[in-house]
Amino acid sequence: MAPPFRRLLVANRGEIAIRIIRACRELGIESVAIHSDVDATALHVEMADRAVGVGPRQASESYLNIGAVVAAALESGAEAVHPGYGFLSENAAFARAVLEAGLVWIGPPPATQEALGNKLAARRSVVAAGVPIVPGLVVALGGDDDPDLASVGFPAMLKAAAGGGGRGMRRVDDPAQLAELVPSASREAAAAFGDGTLYLERLISPARHVEVQLLGDRHGALACLGERDCSIQRRHQKLIEETPSPAVTPAIRAALFESARRVAGTVEFSNAATVEFLLDADGNHYFLEMNTRLQVEHGVTELATGIDLVAWQIRIAAGEPLPPDLLDVEPRGHAIEARVYAEDPYAGFRPVGGAVTAWRLPQGPGVRVDAAVKPGLELTPEYDPLLAKVMVHAADRPAAVARLRRALDEMVVGGLQTDLGFHRWLVDHPGFATGDYHTGLITESWGEGPELGREEVALAAFAAIEGREAKPASSVDHRPPSDWARGDSAWGRLARREAVGE
Amino acid sequence: MTGYRASINGVEVDAATGWRLTWLEPATGAVRLTDGTTVITAVVEGAGEEWWVTLRGRRIGVTVRSWRERTLAQAEAASGTHAGPTEVKATLPGLVVTLEVTEGTEVVEDQPLLTLEAMKMQNEVRAPRAGRVTRVAVAAGQAVATGQLLVRIE
Repeated sequence: MAPPFRRLLVANRGEIAIRIIRACRELGIESVAIHSDVDATALHVEMADRAVGVGPRQASESYLNIGAVVAAALESGAEAVHPGYGFLSENAAFARAVLEAGLVWIGPPPATQEALGNKLAARRSVVAAGVPIVPGLVVALGGDDDPDLASVGFPAMLKAAAGGGGRGMRRVDDPAQLAELVPSASREAAAAFGDGTLYLERLISPARHVEVQLLGDRHGALACLGERDCSIQRRHQKLIEETPSPAVTPAIRAALFESARRVAGTVEFSNAATVEFLLDADGNHYFLEMNTRLQVEHGVTELATGIDLVAWQIRIAAGEPLPPDLLDVEPRGHAIEARVYAEDPYAGFRPVGGAVTAWRLPQGPGVRVDAAVKPGLELTPEYDPLLAKVMVHAADRPAAVARLRRALDEMVVGGLQTDLGFHRWLVDHPGFATGDYHTGLITESWGEGPELGREEVALAAFAAIEGREAKPASSVDHRPPSDWARGDSAWGRLARREAVGE
Repeated sequence: MTGYRASINGVEVDAATGWRLTWLEPATGAVRLTDGTTVITAVVEGAGEEWWVTLRGRRIGVTVRSWRERTLAQAEAASGTHAGPTEVKATLPGLVVTLEVTEGTEVVEDQPLLTLEAMKMQNEVRAPRAGRVTRVAVAAGQAVATGQLLVRIE
């Protein structure tokens, strides 16, 4: 089979850029990476067939710079552009610029992105298609329509009309709190999405976050590739995803798939897409949003279905129809992903800076790791602090949880705190083990994490004393992490230079 | 024996006995810990008195001091006073988005001082104690490095 394209530009960085580069290599496509100045030696640049610099460290000047990215595609002779997730993946202006440059856009038509990017418009069209939505407003707060707040029901969630990912989201227990909460939420939404418009949805609690993976070709075929449960969240952002969802029965699954197909029918799209729902304790589902791009957590669906979603995104964009066996695929076994972030779960999952020192990845049966870390890597504060996605696949859920526990024990990250400690705690949590959990698990059961146990304390004391007494001479030059905390690092110097306006 | 003692969160603790440590990667501090039955891969990093041990994903700060260092530290603690100004510093690099106080503002504990944007998140920096703001060392829109002074409270 001839490759779908000769050369493809990957308009992203980090693990997702590497994921796309790998798909290109398997399809016989030359890959072109883009990078900011500080990423010139990043792993995704090393792995691509060629690379083009698109600007300075600040994402707004490089990875989000539409002109520079399109110019890089044209200059490198790429025929198609894959945006990954984040950055420009949901930017209709970028999609339009790619198409106007005569390149193939691996994503939905710009008009579809615009329609779905406006959550309020999406809520209105989805209701018209007969799909249940979370009760609440379908018009903007503070707009001309003067919404009926009493009909929302409280507690409610304040949400950004232009975005997702938890930004601009606030819990509202009483309408009287709106005056206080709206300004900061609106500012956060405006900073993240360029639009501070907000609306209100009733808070469904307890709830699970369940999403359906779709793949549609350019000939009208649409595959439902199972659901993912993404209920383990902090700040409304996902940390763990699994498929199938422990809460989804065959009847609920059939209803979810029917709703997902109806939502997909409200827009024109051909690509990978995800329709997100909330699932309440009675098994009722409510539409949240649809994303017509690759999701961070696509890998668990790939493990359970054996379908290479990234390769199919590319083949669909080249006009290839989905084959019958893909349309009828039955997912097998159970897959779980743990996102490893540079953040401190013992301090409210606050992002941490620094450099990765020790870096040992799990291997073995049923384990997949997507990562873009090189030891010594200095994290850049503007970019996503995702270090790795540890994915496991096994015959059933108990085996998958056991495999995840084993994989987490094999993984070692030094130099900074990560959320690995949280994940290691989670796999032993009774609620997670039984699958009976909801989006409030971290708030209700984790908090700031358990107190240090007596054995942990004693073992840490033993290891530290051993370290001081007996650390081999080759490590004399080892830089203690406190150097970083004092700002004596490239990152710190950079920030100071900026502070004085150089 | 070298007489080293460890403390965690300011409390002196007893070291586990019956365990053995093997350096796997001396350059990075990756180690193997075993008591003969359990094997744990961990990370031991640090220098001088300040050490970090990462056990099952949790990074634990450990102070390791000799008898002499302990004596010195105790003497310092005894002579120092804990009153006086409190310096609020940036715990991560970021951008100052808003300032909620000015010099002279009387604050109560936990009162928001400023908002710092880092890693695409807005982080509220709050007063660690009550007092009067005697210095605001940053301006809105300014980038700050980790450890940089933000506000002083007296």
